Amino acid sequence: MEPYSQDYKIERNDIANAGTVSSLTKRALKNRGLSREFVKQVTIGVYEAEINVVIHSYGGSVKVDITDDYAEITFMDKGPGIPNIEQALTAGFSTASSYAIENGFGAGMGLPNIQAVSDEMDLQSTSDGTYLRIKFNITENSYEH
Amino acid sequence: MNIKDILENNRLTLINTKGNLFNEISGMFSCDLLSHVMANADEGNILITILNNINVLGVASLRDLSAVIFPHNVKVNQLIIDKADELQIPLLSTQLSTAKTVILLSKMGVI
Repeated sequence: MEPYSQDYKIERNDIANAGTVSSLTKRALKNRGLSREFVKQVTIGVYEAEINVVIHSYGGSVKVDITDDYAEITFMDKGPGIPNIEQALTAGFSTASSYAIENGFGAGMGLPNIQAVSDEMDLQSTSDGTYLRIKFNITENSYEH
Repeated sequence: MNIKDILENNRLTLINTKGNLFNEISGMFSCDLLSHVMANADEGNILITILNNINVLGVASLRDLSAVIFPHNVKVNQLIIDKADELQIPLLSTQLSTAKTVILLSKMGVI
């Protein structure tokens, strides 16, 4: 199928629209005939990463690329960055604001969930921003049979 | 079993008008942490949560949940009701506690 590529902007603290990228990506994957299980894994990863940009960063952008071989989603935000990536990857560790917690997030499950569902995860962070690339390999088994 | 079936119990009240009452129920999931719901709920599950928040609908839609029940008589705000109508997700309310809601659904055959 034709490669799919979309770019989105994510605004800081825009909780009401959080999930838009995941929702549109989910639809694109379903339209390509990918299986419920595959779509679920990608949706979980994209949603968690999208929420992270909303609740932790000053805003950023997302690029979604889907080919016949993979779905790759790249998030780049404007800071303030993750001071300690190892801690951030520990389930239950959180630096979330009370605003995030009141909205049902901030339990320290985001990055561990993303790591668990993706085939590749590249996370780099400085005080100028965080780069997160997650990749899901598409094989014959990724399709609805 | 679908949402229409469980609404026959008068302890559950439907609070929006455009939810799809024919959504099939595959089970239930009770949690107030959305990341946990996202990662662990199954398609068709009813979500039981006290989280009176628009993101509940985002997660319900992304994970194709069959309905959301708000226990403890949580007063659901209009923004959530409107969004649920747009997404055709049934919203239910009950005076029961979360635990008693789980027991009620369990007695009705929802596991």
